[in-house]
Amino acid sequence: MTTVGELSNLLLRVAERDAAAFKVVYGATSSKLYGIILRILRRRDVADEVLQEVYVKIWDRASDFNPAIASPITWMATIARNRAIDEVRRKRPESFEDHPEIVDVPADDPSALSILMRGEDGRRLADCLSRLDDGKRQMVVLAYCDGLSRDELAAQYGQPVNTIKTWLRRSLAQLKGCLSS
Amino acid sequence: MTEPDDIDGLAAEYVLGTLDAGERAAVAARRQREVALDAAIVSWESRLAALSDVVPPIAPPSGLFSKIEARLHAVSSVGISHAAAVVALTRRLNSWRVAAITASSIAAALLVAFGATQFAPKPKGKNLVAVLQKDAQSPAFLVSVNVDDRVMTVRPVSAKHEAGKSYELWIIHESLGKPKSLGVVDDAAPTRAPTLAAYKPDVLEASTYAVTLEPEGGSPSGDPTGPIVFSGKMIEATGY
Repeated sequence: MTTVGELSNLLLRVAERDAAAFKVVYGATSSKLYGIILRILRRRDVADEVLQEVYVKIWDRASDFNPAIASPITWMATIARNRAIDEVRRKRPESFEDHPEIVDVPADDPSALSILMRGEDGRRLADCLSRLDDGKRQMVVLAYCDGLSRDELAAQYGQPVNTIKTWLRRSLAQLKGCLSS
Repeated sequence: MTEPDDIDGLAAEYVLGTLDAGERAAVAARRQREVALDAAIVSWESRLAALSDVVPPIAPPSGLFSKIEARLHAVSSVGISHAAAVVALTRRLNSWRVAAITASSIAAALLVAFGATQFAPKPKGKNLVAVLQKDAQSPAFLVSVNVDDRVMTVRPVSAKHEAGKSYELWIIHESLGKPKSLGVVDDAAPTRAPTLAAYKPDVLEASTYAVTLEPEGGSPSGDPTGPIVFSGKMIEATGY
């Protein structure tokens, strides 16, 4: 297990074009990022391609990493999520129903969230998520983890897209309020 | 359309991932020049980051890291020499503009510029270069492709930034039917896009590459909507 401090130092070395450090970073983080990407894209061939692009970007942009702004894994996971969501928004490669087995986020179970989400930030976010209505919490988790768009959420919940947008914005505002209290 | 004052809601949904492709591209472009939007996005990234702990890690296929290394090697060896060449090229542009020179002599000059950077390791495989321009005096973008890795780099040479618009690159070949988008290209910094996996080497080599001026974030329809502002054909780059 690589600590936050170790990973930060490794990324600073990657910024100086240290290929050995990059390999260690890959070893320490690729399963996490691949999990995130595959969850959103649901196709291994596309996920393999996107993971490669993400690490090329991490190599290129390592000098942008600022440990004062984000933890190293948050910085890398953000690059991975952004790239995966951009890809899936271009064209959802498979329908939601093709792989129901991987849509198993425990979004209905706040206690499961609080077990999975680590650290002080994770506990606080899990606590604030548990205060949302069940459906709204599930929607936020599905959007974040599975990369569902407003349209897909609308189909899933049998609601107009505008209603989904309103629910999402309200839920997010409620989360923000809870987290800052 | 989003209310202009709901920057925080827009940032939150951008990070949550629920915006459609056009909205995402627009936010990604806006955050480059709107500090408040960028800061709101960074805050939301931090707020929601712990949610990714919910997703179980999955080990990627074992050969993937060597593919990444190969890609970095190809790009850095080509990319560094191109970067040096483009700097030199940009410096020379003014004199080029006054001299009435042909497209092929610009390409030839580029190759001389590339050939001069022999300290860079020789990239493996075949490399193609296209100068995209409106006329012989105004090269705007330089597109280079490593055919083996299908990695494309687009370097702006003299493209002017157009407010509220994006440059989008298209590949045009009769076997492809309609022009196919290769994505939005930056007018200030190199864009590197391994988006060519779907194209055969002979198609990449024979195609026309064209840049259109599109609404910010790229064509909303997936087909070109704006005028072709620059175009060019590939030539093989053997000199570097």
